[in-house]
Amino acid sequence: MDPVLLIIVCVIIGGVLASLGVHLLPVGGAPAAMGTATGIATGTVMLMFGAAMCGLFTASTVATFSNSILLVSLSGAVGSWIMMGVTMLMANIIYVFGTGIVPVSGRIDVDPITKESQKEYKTPQCDGHGVPNVSYISGMVGALLGGFGGAFMYFALLNYANFEPTTAGMAAMGIFVANAIIAAYNIGGTIEGFHDPKFKRLPKALITCFVISLFCGVLVWLAANLGGLIK
Amino acid sequence: MTVTPAVEEEEEKKPTEGFPPDETRLGIISAVIAVIITILLPVLPAVIKAVGVIFALLWGADSVRKTSKYGLGTGVPSIGVLAMGYGIVGAILGTAFASKTGYAAGALGGVLIMGGVGYLSGVMSNSEKFIGMKIPGLERGMMELGLAGSLAMLLQFSIVAGSLNFDVVMDKAISTGIIALLFILSCMAMFHPYNACLGPDERRPRTLMVSVEISGLLCAILGIILVVTAGSMWGVADGVSLVIFGALVWLVFYVKFVKAAMREAYSVVGTGLIKTIE
Repeated sequence: MDPVLLIIVCVIIGGVLASLGVHLLPVGGAPAAMGTATGIATGTVMLMFGAAMCGLFTASTVATFSNSILLVSLSGAVGSWIMMGVTMLMANIIYVFGTGIVPVSGRIDVDPITKESQKEYKTPQCDGHGVPNVSYISGMVGALLGGFGGAFMYFALLNYANFEPTTAGMAAMGIFVANAIIAAYNIGGTIEGFHDPKFKRLPKALITCFVISLFCGVLVWLAANLGGLIK
Repeated sequence: MTVTPAVEEEEEKKPTEGFPPDETRLGIISAVIAVIITILLPVLPAVIKAVGVIFALLWGADSVRKTSKYGLGTGVPSIGVLAMGYGIVGAILGTAFASKTGYAAGALGGVLIMGGVGYLSGVMSNSEKFIGMKIPGLERGMMELGLAGSLAMLLQFSIVAGSLNFDVVMDKAISTGIIALLFILSCMAMFHPYNACLGPDERRPRTLMVSVEISGLLCAILGIILVVTAGSMWGVADGVSLVIFGALVWLVFYVKFVKAAMREAYSVVGTGLIKTIE
């Protein structure tokens, strides 16, 4: 395929996957810091940024000895997967043994995966606590997709646009972050996972991220072309 | 070393005395100063470029304040990080334009295109058909953030690399990993002021002081980098003067900010614990 198309398509896939990944993370924001909402007690941007950075580290390490786009992308996915898994586990340990609350979803009465009842364990006037099973699984899938998207973009910038590793990493991170933040605006800051009613807003974010990534892809190609990196 | 005093005085007085030129005026003033310094680039010493960086970041911080006032739902930092995300792509594109056309002014192409992308993302975020954030002035805010982020990044590239040539910037500013530092410190200068000062008694001049203060720190760090890498055509003096300039700006605005905060804070009275109802 033409390098122009390859770069643009890869950047679009990366951006759209980043947006999808953000929608699956259990983000609690400030209320979760007090244990009164489900999710991890920080913003979407911080979580996705951390996951993407970890993914880019593993992906760039693998990219030094591998030329397979699938292997590099999957290693990125594993990197952000580990980061999110550890973060959610540690958050749960602190919630359960530190604050003394039960991980429970606030948006649904029955866990759609394990079929465990949620309603009885929820403190009245609260919006859930901690990271329950369904949110944990959703978060793992989100990190997998987000990390895959970030690493996919990195690989395209590295091998098709011929950027140096650092440049490719920073440019991929810039585009990834822009998409993640647009997605975060769509969910209004907090979400529990795929079972949250806010998840239904997903298509709007995907369209927006598609357009933004399209432009970013064109710009990256333009930069590589004008900089003399693409012969 | 000879350049330092003149610039410092101008820098110390201007933002505080002129405070607050309204948002549009501040934007135009900062944009014009940053653009002029970017165009005249390679011949200028780092201290003057640092003034451009400070103004660009000040503009960005003001835009962050303007858009975050209405509540984004994701916290103030998100929009500052967005600005620098756009800024990095815009600056890389700008350097590519500059080395293709051969003029430093070509870099403005990247800045303008990024402003366009920022405007588009603002329109899409605000539009009912897409994300529907309904924040007044988000389009303009995001456009300004794209412009300010790209300008700030370009100016920092030029301080570190000493030129806007694509290959030189890649070599000296990006491959060395310095860009990560530039990225996060510029983010800080944009989002931290409003993030730290927001609340019922927030006052614009006080908030913007924090931005200038952080930019001063950024300049001092850039100066240290410049001394270590010796990338400037003006020699070590360039880096040393930048460190002194940055430290002075930081000190002056830090003292000003703390004094303003002390003056404007109401006295705190201990009320003891809340009484329990028997």
